[in-house]
Amino acid sequence: MDVLGLSELLVRIILGTLGLATFGIIFGLFYKGIDRKLSAHMQGRIGPPFRQPFRDVAKLFTKENIIPDHAIPWIFNLIPLIGLIATISILLYLPLGGFPPLFASGGDLIVILYLLIIPSLALVIGGFSSGSPYAIIGAQREMATMIAYEFPLAVLIITVAWNLLQKGITNVFLFSTIAAAPVWNQVAGPLGFIGFAILLVVLLLVTPAELSKIPFDSPEAETELAGGLLVEYSGRNLAMYYLTDGVKTVVMASIIVALFFPYNLSAFIGLGSYTGIIIDVLFYLLKVFLVILFSVTLIRVAIARLKIDQIVYTYWIPLTLASLVGLILVMWDQTMVQWFS
Amino acid sequence: MFSLESGSGFWNPILWVLIFFIAFLLFYGIRGFGKSTYKKDTDQTKAFLSGNQEPSAEVMHVKASNLYWGFTTSMKTVYTELRKMHTGNASDYVLWFVIILACLFLIMGVM
Repeated sequence: MDVLGLSELLVRIILGTLGLATFGIIFGLFYKGIDRKLSAHMQGRIGPPFRQPFRDVAKLFTKENIIPDHAIPWIFNLIPLIGLIATISILLYLPLGGFPPLFASGGDLIVILYLLIIPSLALVIGGFSSGSPYAIIGAQREMATMIAYEFPLAVLIITVAWNLLQKGITNVFLFSTIAAAPVWNQVAGPLGFIGFAILLVVLLLVTPAELSKIPFDSPEAETELAGGLLVEYSGRNLAMYYLTDGVKTVVMASIIVALFFPYNLSAFIGLGSYTGIIIDVLFYLLKVFLVILFSVTLIRVAIARLKIDQIVYTYWIPLTLASLVGLILVMWDQTMVQWFS
Repeated sequence: MFSLESGSGFWNPILWVLIFFIAFLLFYGIRGFGKSTYKKDTDQTKAFLSGNQEPSAEVMHVKASNLYWGFTTSMKTVYTELRKMHTGNASDYVLWFVIILACLFLIMGVM
């Protein structure tokens, strides 16, 4: 790579990181505000204003950054920052607002799955480094939850990729490939449709665990562990985790949109240029909102917190079986259509 | 450039490290705006235990085996059955191996 190419790449990385970090934080906090407001209304409360998460972050920056006696200070301080940065880095590999990923050539879907583990691990390491029994129990629960939901998630990703591979498509783990051949367009008969619908439900149920939301929030469990792995965190360190949560919400919703709803409105209504771009961005934001509404807000309002053994059971038995049934239905889709035609 | 390819997937670690480094500089700077002070050697720095007196570190220790509680409890039926199958007799293990292999060939043959 020549000097010009390298400097162009560096400028893209700097501007891309700045732009997408701003996007992820602003919309992550905004969606958090909407989620809190909507869930409050569903429970018959007025709830905080939409801008409350922004105020929370601003307030945390003015609070003392307490480091407990038994903590390992450098890990305790560094790890919230690592979690936030890793989450923001995922945004650069994701298609957002109808645009292709900024660094599509930098990594594929498998890389994103691995990068998604870093923020969860940051929570675990932060909890262990706190030196608090509550935080250690919370960290252990977070590890158990991570191990539990990875299985159905892996089956889901493999099914989407395998289905594209069967159609003779190459580079099946690329988001541009998935966007060019959406899963619903690859369905031959009702079995494939039911299979992918099951897999979509599985992914919507994996999302609250990825985000440590009710009913899978036993690692934090305010009423039981007083915040669990975050119990000793305060001030700017807690603000980093708060921002990570917001950005990760956008990341998870964007992954669901990219895998299952990669459609743009401008192509349907024949809009071009700037109007088309604006419509596509607004449509993407609406899709992200709907995903958050169904996978976070509605679930956390409707269901009580599960115990950690119930969480493991939910992911390893019903949801893994559901994802395997989805996989089998997708596999049989083409065969059944050929038999009956 | 510098992409690692597995045949079906790829990753450019150098690019990720660059992204990580730039994001680190940015957020380390932003984090610097937050308050960094606190009152050392006060009750503030003791672990929160719902108002209970903090015992010694040895007593407070949570065993790592606690991690597996969720798994052993939720999969109790499976573990009980597995324990029954774990007879310690080598011929039993060979038998299980043959049965599983036969099932695998059956599935692969059908597919």
